[in-house]
Amino acid sequence: MTNEKDRCCETSTQDTCCSGAGVKTLILACSGGSNVGQISNQIMIELDKDGTGNAYCLSGIGAAMSGFIESAKAARTILIDGCPVSCGKKVFEKYGIKPSDYFIVTELGIEKTHDFSKLKEETDKVLNTLKTKI
Amino acid sequence: MKIQILGTGCAKCIKLTENAEKAAKELGVDFEIEKITDINKIMDLGVMMTPGLAIDGEVKSVGKVLSPEEIKKIISK
Repeated sequence: MTNEKDRCCETSTQDTCCSGAGVKTLILACSGGSNVGQISNQIMIELDKDGTGNAYCLSGIGAAMSGFIESAKAARTILIDGCPVSCGKKVFEKYGIKPSDYFIVTELGIEKTHDFSKLKEETDKVLNTLKTKI
Repeated sequence: MKIQILGTGCAKCIKLTENAEKAAKELGVDFEIEKITDINKIMDLGVMMTPGLAIDGEVKSVGKVLSPEEIKKIISK
C-alpha cells in the first residue's frame, strides 16, 4: 500500500503539480449488452457527475494496458457489474486487482433483459440504494 | 532502455527521476530518461495519478515515488 505522503497529483483534476492529493477513486462498469450492463454504465456516469469519483475504462484493463492496470491497483475502485456473470470482476481478478466496493445491478433489484426502453427509470431506482452502500 | 517519468514536473516527479537515474546507473544498464509532461499523453496511457514510471513504454508504477531499490527490482525483472 502506498503511503499518502508518497502520492502526487491526480491527472484528471489538475494540470499543475503538485498538491499532495489523496488516493483517487476510480469507477468502472461492465457496460455490457443488456439493460443491466447499460445501467451499470449510467451509474458510473452519475457517480462521476456527483463527484464520487472518476469514470474509468474497464476495457483499458481488459486490453492489458499497463497504465490502466497500475492505476486501478493504486486507486480506490468502485466496480459495477450488470449481472452475476461478473465480467468486470473477472477482468479485475485476471490482473490481481481487488475492487474497494463491488456491486451487481441485478442484486439491487433489476431483472436482466434486453429491453433498453426503461434505462433511466431503472437507473434511478437503484442509484440511491447503491450510493448508501459506498 | 528507456525510462519514462510521467508527471508535469513537481518535486515528486523530479525525485522519481533522480531515483530512477540512480537505480539505472547502479545496475550499469544503458538507459535514457524521457520526461512525459503532457497531461493528455499521460492520461492516454491510462495513468490517473502521477508521478508514474514506465520502462520501454510499459507503465510499472502509478502515483508514488519509488525508491532506487524498488526501481532496481523493476528494471531487473
